[in-house]
Amino acid sequence: MSANHNRPLSDVEIRVKALESLLVEKGLVDPAAVDALIDTYEHKVGPRNGAHVVAKAWMDPAYKARLLADGTAAIAELGYSGIQGEDMVVIESTPETHNVIVCTLCSCYPWPTLGLPPVWFKSAPYRSRVVSDPRGVLKEFGLELPEKMQVRVWDSTAELRYMVLPERPAGTEGMTEEQLAALVTRDSMIGVARVAVPGQEGART
Amino acid sequence: MNGVHDLGGMHGLGPIDIEQDEPVFHHEWERRVFGMFLPVFATGAFNIDEFRHAIERMGPKYLATSYYEHWLAAFETLLVEKGVISADEFAARRVALAGGMN
Amino acid sequence: MAINAEQALAATKVGATARVDAAVLPRFTPGTRVRTLNLNPPGHIRLPRYIRDKEGVIERDHGVFVFPDTHAAGLGEKPQHVYVVRFSARELWGPQGGAKDELLVDVWEDYLEPA
Repeated sequence: MSANHNRPLSDVEIRVKALESLLVEKGLVDPAAVDALIDTYEHKVGPRNGAHVVAKAWMDPAYKARLLADGTAAIAELGYSGIQGEDMVVIESTPETHNVIVCTLCSCYPWPTLGLPPVWFKSAPYRSRVVSDPRGVLKEFGLELPEKMQVRVWDSTAELRYMVLPERPAGTEGMTEEQLAALVTRDSMIGVARVAVPGQEGART
Repeated sequence: MNGVHDLGGMHGLGPIDIEQDEPVFHHEWERRVFGMFLPVFATGAFNIDEFRHAIERMGPKYLATSYYEHWLAAFETLLVEKGVISADEFAARRVALAGGMN
Repeated sequence: MAINAEQALAATKVGATARVDAAVLPRFTPGTRVRTLNLNPPGHIRLPRYIRDKEGVIERDHGVFVFPDTHAAGLGEKPQHVYVVRFSARELWGPQGGAKDELLVDVWEDYLEPA
């Protein structure tokens, strides 16, 4: 039995029920639309979309060029588009430059490619510190960059939505696009991790 | 506004709390707030920039509340300011629901 | 009245871009040195405090978008160019900034002047 049932409604739960019930009664919100949107973003849209984009860019230099020139159009080629991704910018990380994304002012995030953001991305500690101490923040994520690399932090203050095209790791020659996509983590497309092959140093399970 | 939301460069806000295999939503009420986002915007009551500014106007509560509580606060503020739902209606409904069980 | 489930799902695939199809000429071009203004309005502004009154370089022009400051106040879209402005970490944070590191921030034209 769930421990969460048969307990009094919390204050925030009461406020949410009040809001939804009033909006529904006034004919402004259809609960079936609410249900459908929850289902879409809880189960159907997520970082596997972005991983598909990354893997294709690694395999296909022409696609990669289109992706870097017009992220919105190239991402839409794979069927990913829409809300909170209407104007996409893809930034390539290289052996010389590591890129990381933040929204210091709120929590802007590219939903069509990465789904909904994790709590840490939306929270004060990351938003405050990644701009002033990106190397310290990356270390907290287990990523230590050599001094000679440059770090570029991109702050999404406008309606452009950013994602990182991480470097393709060594040891992936001969992999299929699907195998490559399976290696690409959400964190590598935000820029707080790099992509690694399992068993190699730096790989995440 | 020079609000508490403008966090870039601040110190002392604590360690980054990383939850492994985090679920998309942590509570049912978060799901409902999320799911209401698009339908409420579709009513045309307010725009995204007004929405963000309403969150910025939360003041110190901003740091003590979670992301979807920010959305909830913005909906409550703007729907009342725009005359879609009155503060009295909200209050009466909350009273009616108080004492309810999950 | 209320959008139904089908309409809601269709809307998620289209979204609501803030890009404006207006023939607005840019004031700045990539490579130009600019300075952000020291603006401190009581209303909505999307220029973070950590990049106010700082010098940077135009990295990219994203094109023309709605201006949030006026849009949030019910004063219209005031479409204008949004640029990526590149700042050195040292410019923003002084000696605590990483020597090689950079911040790239989206900045509306109204927040900028030539350096």
